[in-house]
Amino acid sequence: MFLRVVLAEMKKNIKQYFFTSRVLFWTLALPLGNGLYFYFLYLPFEKGSVNLEFNASIFTLDLTGFTLIGQLLYSFFTMMLLAGVAFFSERWQGTLETVLLSPANRIALLLGMALANALNYMWLLMGVMFSWMIFLNVPVFIGDFLAFFASVLLSYLSIVALGMCFEALCIHSRRGHMYANMLQEPIMFFSGLIFPLQSMPRALLPISYLLPLTFGLISVRLTVLGGASIFDVAVPLGILASMAIVFFALAIWLIGYAERSAKAEATLTQF
Amino acid sequence: MGFHSLRVVVAAAKFNLLITLRFFSGTAIALRLFAPIMTLGSAWVLYNQVYRGVLSPEFGSVVGSSGYLSFIAIGNAFYVFVFSAAFVVGRVMFWERATGTIEATFLTPMNRLAYMAGIMVAAALNSLIDFIAVFLIGILFGFQVTSLNAPLFISSLLLTACALFGIGLMVNGITLTFRDRTTTSNTLMILFMVFSGIVCPLELMPQWAQIISKFLPLTYGIKAMRASLLGTAAYDVMFDLTILGFLGIVYIGIGALMLKLIERNLKKKALLSVF
Repeated sequence: MFLRVVLAEMKKNIKQYFFTSRVLFWTLALPLGNGLYFYFLYLPFEKGSVNLEFNASIFTLDLTGFTLIGQLLYSFFTMMLLAGVAFFSERWQGTLETVLLSPANRIALLLGMALANALNYMWLLMGVMFSWMIFLNVPVFIGDFLAFFASVLLSYLSIVALGMCFEALCIHSRRGHMYANMLQEPIMFFSGLIFPLQSMPRALLPISYLLPLTFGLISVRLTVLGGASIFDVAVPLGILASMAIVFFALAIWLIGYAERSAKAEATLTQF
Repeated sequence: MGFHSLRVVVAAAKFNLLITLRFFSGTAIALRLFAPIMTLGSAWVLYNQVYRGVLSPEFGSVVGSSGYLSFIAIGNAFYVFVFSAAFVVGRVMFWERATGTIEATFLTPMNRLAYMAGIMVAAALNSLIDFIAVFLIGILFGFQVTSLNAPLFISSLLLTACALFGIGLMVNGITLTFRDRTTTSNTLMILFMVFSGIVCPLELMPQWAQIISKFLPLTYGIKAMRASLLGTAAYDVMFDLTILGFLGIVYIGIGALMLKLIERNLKKKALLSVF
């Protein structure tokens, strides 16, 4: 039953997202544009490489690759954050009450939405990777495939778990969508997407450490561009795993609370 | 006819300003300002923390003595103006359709361009708040006006608004045809953001990016505005303003024609409200 809900929700969301084949073009064009924007931000300065300090080591990474990996992971994060507003869309369509009346497991619903977004993301991943590697000659250097897979998987899980927490906000507030949009820019700044984290003013670092994207960016950039081993990225991977567990547990509690509260106050559909 | 169109412009502008006032939201203002603040913040970190104030020699030779952060602040303020003004116009028909008023709007004998111009006026007035706010925030990050040329400043702003109005008309045509709400305008926004020289002088961009930038009105608008505030004499400002005016006429012409043809086609096929 759980699996059937996940698959049904996933299928529904994929169909809604790809309502026309033109969506594929926009999906590729937007992150490519964002990546170029950050790349151009570096052009008035030194060109070629970025130093990423981590765990008392300095990794010199290709600038194009640095911005590419950042943009790819950030796009995924944004998709998950916006997947978090799936309940907002249900409300907008007038189907939220029906969805929450059904005996379907809420977590299965959310996993279905998250999986649909992850699958949609694959188009982006393939398109951007190919175009950037071919046209911009990004030098990929994966020294440890286990480290690479662990980085991608744990980044994915922790980001999905955080996206699920946002669902609760969308049940609770009419402005969930707006908050999700609003958070995109600060997250971009604080996660170290645009510049290496060691350059962030120290007073702001605690905010960076609350975001799974921060550690995802460190581990994926180091494993894909710097040839880092599993031991080099053990710390960010451990933090990502912990975040995935904590955010997932928090999401279950928050969604239950938001649903109960909205039902009690009759604010599921109208405020 | 002219007076009637003027009344349409005033009525549409008034109506839209009233709606803005009625649904004023601090969160929405914050949403509009986050992008430029974060870009300014990132530029500040790159300049002061990552590269310790050292710019490439090419940047100095292209931009002159004006500072990097002033360069970025002006680009951002201009971008905010585009985001707030032009893209409101681009989404007019989507919202008319979404709120169920599109058939009534197209039944009226009013001039379509006057109606859209009214909305543009309201959006431009509204976006002035953002425009000024970004300059004020820019001061915190190190923005300085080294030489003010008010006529050039105003003419660059007005001419850019005209060209963007034309682009807004075209986006409306696309929206009406493809049921598309934000993707077209989002992609155009990215196009402007990347290729208009907001964060980097055009001369430092790759050749292919420079070619794209030549077709974007914002490119010339930003150059003229930077010249008006930073006094960079190296820019051939009159040339930029002429190109900007020319692009404005071309875009408005194409946009008006597109809107007219698409309206006729949709009416013929009874697709205005429902697909």
